[in-house]
Amino acid sequence: MSTASSPDPRVEVIARPTPVPPSPRTAGERRRRVWWPSAGTVRGGLLGGIATASGMALTATSGWLIVRASERPVILTLLTAIVAVRAFGMARPVFRYWERLTSHDAALRLLAERRTSAYEALIPLTPARLGRRRRADVLTGVVDDLTDVVDAQVRVTVPVISTAVAGGIVIALTMALALPVGLVMLGLGVVVCLVSALAARLESRSLPELLAARAEVTRVSELMASQAGELRAVGGWTTALGWLDDAHAALDRVTRRISAGRATAASLFLVAVGAAVAVTAVIARDLPVSTPVKALLVLTPVAVSEAITPLVDAMRALARARGSERRIDALLDLAPAVAAEPASPEASSPDRAPEDASGTPAGHTAYAGGDRSDVETRALTASWTGARTDLTTTDLDVPAGSRIAITGPNGSGKSTLLAVLARHLDPSGGTYLLGGADALDQPLEQARSRIAVVDDETHVFGTSLRANLALARPDADDADLEQALGAAGLTPLLRAMPDGLDTTLGAGGRGLSGGERARLGIARAHVSRRPVVLLDEPVAHLDPPTARAVVEDLTRGGGAPGTSQGEAAGTPPQTIIMVTHRDDGADLFDHVMQVRRRPSATMSPNTAQHTAETDARPDDRTHEPDPPRR
Amino acid sequence: MKPFDPRLLRAVPAARRPVAVLAATGIASGLATIATAFALSAVVVAVVEGRDLVTPLAWLLGLFAVRAVLAAATEWVAAWAGVSVSSALRAALLRRWGTVDADVRLEPGAAVSLATAGTAAVEPYAARFLPTLVTAAVVPALAIATLVVVDWPSALVVVLTLPLLPVFAALIGKATAESTERRWSALAALSGHFLDVVRGLPTLVTYGRARRQVTTVREVSDRHRRATMETLRIAFLSSAALELLATISVAIVAVTVGLRLSTGSMALGPALVAILLAPEAYWPVRRVGAEYHAAADGAVALDAILAQLEPNPTSAPHSAPNAAFGAESAALTMSSTSNAAFGRASGGGGAVGRVRLTGVTYAYAGSPTPVIRDLDLVAGAGLTVVTGPSGVGKSTLLDLVAGLRRPGAGTVEAPASHYVTQRPFLATGSVRSALTIGHPATDEQLWEALRAVEVDGVVAALPGGLSADLGDDGFGLSAGQRQRLALARAWLAPETLLLLDEPTAHLDPEGAEHVAAVVAELAERRVVVAVTHRDELLAHADHHVVLASADARPVEVILTAGTLPASPRTAGEEGAR
Repeated sequence: MSTASSPDPRVEVIARPTPVPPSPRTAGERRRRVWWPSAGTVRGGLLGGIATASGMALTATSGWLIVRASERPVILTLLTAIVAVRAFGMARPVFRYWERLTSHDAALRLLAERRTSAYEALIPLTPARLGRRRRADVLTGVVDDLTDVVDAQVRVTVPVISTAVAGGIVIALTMALALPVGLVMLGLGVVVCLVSALAARLESRSLPELLAARAEVTRVSELMASQAGELRAVGGWTTALGWLDDAHAALDRVTRRISAGRATAASLFLVAVGAAVAVTAVIARDLPVSTPVKALLVLTPVAVSEAITPLVDAMRALARARGSERRIDALLDLAPAVAAEPASPEASSPDRAPEDASGTPAGHTAYAGGDRSDVETRALTASWTGARTDLTTTDLDVPAGSRIAITGPNGSGKSTLLAVLARHLDPSGGTYLLGGADALDQPLEQARSRIAVVDDETHVFGTSLRANLALARPDADDADLEQALGAAGLTPLLRAMPDGLDTTLGAGGRGLSGGERARLGIARAHVSRRPVVLLDEPVAHLDPPTARAVVEDLTRGGGAPGTSQGEAAGTPPQTIIMVTHRDDGADLFDHVMQVRRRPSATMSPNTAQHTAETDARPDDRTHEPDPPRR
Repeated sequence: MKPFDPRLLRAVPAARRPVAVLAATGIASGLATIATAFALSAVVVAVVEGRDLVTPLAWLLGLFAVRAVLAAATEWVAAWAGVSVSSALRAALLRRWGTVDADVRLEPGAAVSLATAGTAAVEPYAARFLPTLVTAAVVPALAIATLVVVDWPSALVVVLTLPLLPVFAALIGKATAESTERRWSALAALSGHFLDVVRGLPTLVTYGRARRQVTTVREVSDRHRRATMETLRIAFLSSAALELLATISVAIVAVTVGLRLSTGSMALGPALVAILLAPEAYWPVRRVGAEYHAAADGAVALDAILAQLEPNPTSAPHSAPNAAFGAESAALTMSSTSNAAFGRASGGGGAVGRVRLTGVTYAYAGSPTPVIRDLDLVAGAGLTVVTGPSGVGKSTLLDLVAGLRRPGAGTVEAPASHYVTQRPFLATGSVRSALTIGHPATDEQLWEALRAVEVDGVVAALPGGLSADLGDDGFGLSAGQRQRLALARAWLAPETLLLLDEPTAHLDPEGAEHVAAVVAELAERRVVVAVTHRDELLAHADHHVVLASADARPVEVILTAGTLPASPRTAGEEGAR
């Protein structure tokens, strides 16, 4: 019945966040069940009940009218019934229209409310609790799940209330007319409740399998659609077609199973109605009531069948919404990875407290420049879950303006280190000094305002190129933006833009290639003029030549003197710390640091630029790097 | 939107059966519904006249049982048909993309969304809208036909009023079309906003802009609600109007029947049948309108998918592997099963197939100037190294030889190939499955190949060795490790032609030297064509081809002396080995 909802079997999200211990979130109100009605939905349900009851009354009184007419009374005696039939006939569409407006408006209000609160709840969880990879997909999952949950109001709550109200009226009226028939109707109501419960149960039992099967189909088809050439090149296309067939077969199997539940409910409803008609007919024949009333009573269960049919779909929507609610709760109930307030608020480095306390407005904080932002860690350890150590003791000295590449095998803690440096994740031990002061003692917003983060999936907002860049520093002028684009190697892109900085990007706008997106993320970091830029495998998804070109532009444009426009404008060169693989351009950095899963991380300077091969032997011990070459 | 596109049945034969079964259950349900009206009126008449109930009740119960079975079948068939049709479309779409030029394919983002969200949107179209459509086509006709027999005046009323529904729907649609369209596009923008902001949340948090957006999210959600309600008001109003129209029409039937009953010119039985059947003529038509919105996305997606499946006039017909040597049309080899066959046929002896390009011109789709113009090239046994400035079309040349692109003019003759692209494909899954994606191999063979490219140590160190899971797209491996795994896979490949795109690009000099030696070893048994901009490979090259800048002049090709036939366009020589 809903026209506001998205297509039914939506593509399911593959990525899900890694499990972390939950925190008792500001619970309470959000703990209500998905079908729990809001005031507007109750109104909608009541209106729907009137519409449904009118429909039943229409069928029943029509039967009465026809039978009464066959008795050939004076026409005038039929008039009341004719008026009633007309009234019911008009009431049904009118009340249905009213119900749909009311319940959709209520649901959309709820959606707005849930979206806002979910968005607020996501902010402290971003990015650390969204998982390491495919965060955008996790977030898309939240948006879809919210829609499903709110959909339950229109697809579950309103039909159920409507049917209950109409059913109650029918039972009451039939009981008043003829108690035995009323009891039959009551029995029918009980059977309908039981069958609905069964349908809901069957539906939710197979739902996880269905979602898994859909996710697998999506994964394989995404792979085949985006990498057809690469697959064919290595002779893997036939194998991939086999994966697709397997995924389709599994989906087919689960769909058949889940539809069996729905089929059972639909057929049981009809069996129950048929039985009710038969029993009513037997009872009604010998009742001491007029013949038109007998006809009315026999036709009543038939009219009921119209009202209960929507329950099958309602139970399906209920199962879906419950699953979605569980997923949302599992994510939003996580504890943020950083404590909101510094551990000891009064402890702050004396030499830089005044400037920072004054110049940082809440919400957005643009770094003004001026003080040094050396990055220094001692015996730093960190853990995502608290259960295992993801970053073993790490010492790091990054003087302001230097360019460091962090390499290491998978799982060695490179990204964990970067998350701690970005103040996305609280360390579990050790110290982290940012600009000489303990970063943990600085207000979170303030510490973060000194750091720009670029990850491997740069989001392009569906707005102008200018707005996409200026979000990093709203007071940046066009010259700043063009400079930043230039430093990130995007001048050709800007020239190709039909409306320059006003060209709309993102969905519905101009698409960007993978390389252009990575460069856009870097350009944002330039625009921000934040003293420290952290990059987490920004080129991981690019082909090697493009990846190298991006890193070359980064190391040339960002930190090196002479080429840095920022320095000319009075800003010191940005410190660049990038997690990468050594063959993605680590040799272009001043220093390469190796993180490994062992007691201590090692760090070594490049003996010469562009020859990373010779540095960072695995057995190197931690030591102070040389000052960056200028 | 076309309610039903017969192209679906032509392009996707697998969709025929589900659609046929849907139609059959729809017709059967319609017949059962009409029969029920007779049985029900018989029961009512029996109750009213106090006659024997057994026979009519038996009929009624039997029909309800039949309808129960049909209702179960309808649910089951609808779900099955939805999945079958969308799966069949997805498979057809992907199979199609597996045979066409890289250029002809949609750009990756659009391709992914059409193959996933697009085909999924067809599911409600097939599972809900098509059954509704079948019912709307069948049940009213059956109801009217029955009414003609039972009580023709009622049939006349229905025949006269039923066409008013679609006419009204069309009128309402036409009157509101412009504003509806405007609202829908506004609605799409508003509903996209929240997704955009949420997906960009990591960026907003980084730059301290996330809190600011809370108010925006609230405001936009509210605007979204208002805009949606504007649109829904019209949609609901039109469906309410149609329902009212249907109710009035049924009322007219009831009134005429009632009048004739009260004058005694009609019996109760047919009268009851008439008023029970009349609504059956109207509601299926109304439901088509109601399901229209849910199916609209699917119908649009279906249109886009069918457009992709249509034979493309620009791409040449796909010739059989190695059948068209020297023919006028481009002879391309690509399918992996025939690859294997070819590999077996010619891989044993020294007669490995060679590569010959004659007068090949290629331009990217939408580009007026060809990137490769009138190129002649022959590559025989051994290692042929292709060099040239960036952007000269080196990778495109390999794509052409591999059959991933078709030349605009000229011919490409090449045996089946194994092609290591710049970013070689590594599926999520075990190292073993990544290496055996093209052809099966034993673990011993795998280790031998891994040893040959010196990546066995890396694999052995992974937890699980060959069974270790690679991340998405080989995530977690460095580019060099990915490249070496790809070379190990090439080592295992039975194809006689090996194409390598920058095989040493991201290796340190030591590693590049070694990989070059591995490539040279591979070239002892096969034809190897490698594109590079580094020197290590040149030291091992049997032939060296330099692609010159191809602005206006024909591409200049420089071949080594001796083994290769002279081409009129060869100019100069560059030695190797």
